[in-house]
Amino acid sequence: MIIQLTGIGIWTRGLTHFSTLLENTGIDPHAEYVIPAPVAIPARERRRAGHFINLAVEVAHQACEMAGVDKRTIPSVFTSALADTEISDYMCRKLAQNEKLLSPTQFHNSVHNAASGYWSISAQNRAPSTFVGGFDRSFGAGLLEATSQVVAFGTPVLLVGYDLATRSPFHEMLPIDVSLGVAMVLTPAHYVVSSTSMLTIRMNIVPKSGSSDSTRPGAHPMQSGLDLAHQSAQLQRGLKQVSTLAIDTPRSGHLWIELSRESGK
Amino acid sequence: MRAALRSGRGGLSQAQWPDCSIPCYLGVLPAALETAVTAEMDSRNNRMIDLALAQDGFADAIGALQQQLDPGRLGLVMGTSTSSIDRTESGYRSLDAAGRFTSPFIQPRVHSPHAPGDFVAERLGIDGPCMTVSAACASSAKVFATAKRWLDQDLVDAVVVGGADSICLSIIYGFHSLQLVSPDPCRPFSPDRTGISLGEAAGFALLTRNDNATGIRLSGAGESCDAYHMSSAHPEGLGARLSIERALKDAGLATTDIDYVNLHGTGTRANDEIEGKVCAMFNNSRTVLSATKGWTGHTLGAAGIVEAVIAMDALCTGLLPGTMNTRQSEAPFHLLLDNLERPTRHVLSNSFGFGGNNCSLVFSVA
Repeated sequence: MIIQLTGIGIWTRGLTHFSTLLENTGIDPHAEYVIPAPVAIPARERRRAGHFINLAVEVAHQACEMAGVDKRTIPSVFTSALADTEISDYMCRKLAQNEKLLSPTQFHNSVHNAASGYWSISAQNRAPSTFVGGFDRSFGAGLLEATSQVVAFGTPVLLVGYDLATRSPFHEMLPIDVSLGVAMVLTPAHYVVSSTSMLTIRMNIVPKSGSSDSTRPGAHPMQSGLDLAHQSAQLQRGLKQVSTLAIDTPRSGHLWIELSRESGK
Repeated sequence: MRAALRSGRGGLSQAQWPDCSIPCYLGVLPAALETAVTAEMDSRNNRMIDLALAQDGFADAIGALQQQLDPGRLGLVMGTSTSSIDRTESGYRSLDAAGRFTSPFIQPRVHSPHAPGDFVAERLGIDGPCMTVSAACASSAKVFATAKRWLDQDLVDAVVVGGADSICLSIIYGFHSLQLVSPDPCRPFSPDRTGISLGEAAGFALLTRNDNATGIRLSGAGESCDAYHMSSAHPEGLGARLSIERALKDAGLATTDIDYVNLHGTGTRANDEIEGKVCAMFNNSRTVLSATKGWTGHTLGAAGIVEAVIAMDALCTGLLPGTMNTRQSEAPFHLLLDNLERPTRHVLSNSFGFGGNNCSLVFSVA
């Protein structure tokens, strides 16, 4: 499947916009992680949403801005290994007590498609939207689902991968040292990309069964999304012509990806 | 399930759930589910999945199919809302002084939204594309839409789809916080309805690409968002209408072609009223509609597969289930109160969830 990568959003420690990678201004190794406050949603909603949802909404809007797509019509796929561990922690702590009253807002935010809900409301978007999980291979699961939607719908599709830094007891289940959100706009191969687009990367994605040995032990579940962003920046800056990656999907499969810079654009 | 529907035997009973003080009715399996799930993957949700896989020879049929398929060509899409949060809740009651899980709750693959997909893939030995959809109460309807895309694009030759959600304190106290839990068995679309009854379930279906198939065809799938509110449906049902229209368009059918609609029909005042307005589009001489959550309870992330199976079975048996517990209707269409038997060719099933996520499916006699 050949598609275009036309927008990237990114938020983590020391890296809060894809332009940092494009301009090669360097990532400050001493930077503190800053919780995002996406301007795309009203302050009141931002407070109700919480960190995890705001992380997704921030990178989703960044990617759409870069791609110049219509936020009201783009379908979306959200993916995360552990979902909102801050809300899971809140709910499970409350429910372990004798007095079990839960906040209704926290409860409706606890569904794994909560960010999809806030995103679709903020963008006034009634297109299909989903959340897929694949544990430590969630980014691969999301990329497969999003790619398949690009082909099925024949329109750009937004992919958002995000996980929060973990604390006990989740940290011992899957250690995540820093919160990271990465979003991509994937566009059909022959789609005419708007002139404001900064990035057009050709992706040849081939699903394969069998192991790829690409998952590094202890890697962030969204590491392969971050790798894709880094590779795209290098191609965009002309440091490379072609780049290849294997991105693991759940169980034994992986996606074999060749990235190249689109010529003549 | 087929026998229960025919004999009018519902599954709701007065709640007797450990640590739960909210008076309500639940559609529960026996409190202690005895199965041979490994310690690594053990949870109530996975035990229920294990039981469902053994039903009707499903696991054996998948085993037989695997003899004929390249291992990478059989995919899996599971749907869930709660995943194994039942187990996470239990683990939080015995954290150690440092706030860590203690044995037997140190189960990395269980405390994740992907737990059901991971468990089923391992249990059935599925090596093709595999993931778990979690879009609240639309989850295991959306699995059909994803699987259909994979088959249409030749990524796989067959896909196991399924859904599983189990009763846990999160959902009872969560829906209670929204004042949506009924003290009585739920009465969808009844003028005096008082809210939802929760339930738990797991179910499966196998989809293959075969244009000459006999049996049941997934003829259309439609997905949409409300873009309105996290836990309240759009007042005019805009998103619900879109998902139904997209499913019908995908199937190439009109509302008047549909013999039976399985409504989302949760039994809350607002949801039924809004779905009623939207489904007035099925007010014709052919279509009958019913809500089956009075039989099963609202099984949340499993509701999609449960109600898809009920709708598909109607194509096989012609038995259209009534709306259990509801004796009066103000719905602007033919709401079926009692079971009806008649030949059935096309059915539609609605699933609408939090986050304003909607999915409608159309199944037809092949």
